[in-house]
Amino acid sequence: MRCGGYIPDSDSLFRQSVYPVSFKGRAFAWDKCLNLSDQNEGSLLASLTWERYVPTEKLIHGYGCRLAFRRNERKLAAAKLKDAEAKLKDKDRQVYCGAYELKGKAIRDLQATEGLDEILSADVVHHVEVEGEIAHADLRIFLKPGSVASVEGTKTAIEDRLWNNCSGPLRHICDCDKDIAEHPSASLATPPAGAYSDTRSYTLRLWCMVRFQICDWLWRNNLWH
Amino acid sequence: MVILDSSSKLPDTSVSTYAQTVQVKLSATGFMDVMPPETLIMTTFSSVPVIWESELRHQEYQELGAALSEMTKLEEGDEWKIDPPVYNAACYVAAGLLAHSFPAPRIFNHGSKSVVFNWSYGADNMYLTISADHISALISSPERIKRRVEYSANELMDPSAALSSVRAFLKKPVQRLVTGAVTDPTEFVG
Repeated sequence: MRCGGYIPDSDSLFRQSVYPVSFKGRAFAWDKCLNLSDQNEGSLLASLTWERYVPTEKLIHGYGCRLAFRRNERKLAAAKLKDAEAKLKDKDRQVYCGAYELKGKAIRDLQATEGLDEILSADVVHHVEVEGEIAHADLRIFLKPGSVASVEGTKTAIEDRLWNNCSGPLRHICDCDKDIAEHPSASLATPPAGAYSDTRSYTLRLWCMVRFQICDWLWRNNLWH
Repeated sequence: MVILDSSSKLPDTSVSTYAQTVQVKLSATGFMDVMPPETLIMTTFSSVPVIWESELRHQEYQELGAALSEMTKLEEGDEWKIDPPVYNAACYVAAGLLAHSFPAPRIFNHGSKSVVFNWSYGADNMYLTISADHISALISSPERIKRRVEYSANELMDPSAALSSVRAFLKKPVQRLVTGAVTDPTEFVG
């Protein structure tokens, strides 16, 4: 059994949606959900979570709730640098809303997609975060040098392709957000490929859970790095 | 068919114009006496969609202009903030779209360096990704990318090529995706 390593094409990856980043007003904006960022060396980067380390819906959402919580903590800490009594404003509050699923193959197929000739390589790589989130993975896309005058149009095309290949949403309300009267998770849209369905057999799910528990224990005890 | 989001309201002017039009028609009793009821109804309401379409489109573009303006005023680091040159380019293109009576697009961005105009028709989508000096047009279906065209800064000075792409895509009525609430419109696009 291996912890980490290559992410198979058939494995699921999840993208967590957090309000307000993925929203325009109160409406979900799927185009903002992936949020590809420019890197220095002509590449694009986005964060995903690998099914191997979030093998259940509870774990997928646990990651999302921690993600929003950390962002709120950072915003509050920044506000307190200016005013020690500062509180997080409602408009700045990060609210985890749910997740969308992509297959590893959908990401790697971007390289061979007709109309996206500028892509040199597209891959998803396991990358444990400094906060110790062992499920974190990087979606990395490298562009052919000098192939595009503006990378912005490429981002649009990539996000369009990935949206059409993802499924979901898996909606969720974190315990800390149960006070929100109109939770934004209700606005999450269903992608063209339809709702997410976990097609793993019971045995496979059981094996995934056991593997996760072992790898998580190894990681927590510094026995796997 | 244009579907407005829940935050959109008919401007007072359109309501009054509509009411006035109907009132004039109904008060002209001379032709009512000789016209069959079904013809009367069709005649009475035939002008309504024209008025509504024009007024509603104007309202949509007011909202688009307000949304773009708001995006320039957001705090540094906000995911929805756009740079002023991007705002200028987007308004320039939007003014062209309005002048050609295209339905107002849904908007999003990838960061401060671009804004994206999006229309959907059925399962197909069209995007105009507008940077300060560049426009990328994309038409896609769920299965594939149908077309991509790049327009440079020079072509941006005469956006007729990009507009013709929109025209080709929008040959049929377009469903405008429901967008989030926009605060009261403060200015016209362009």
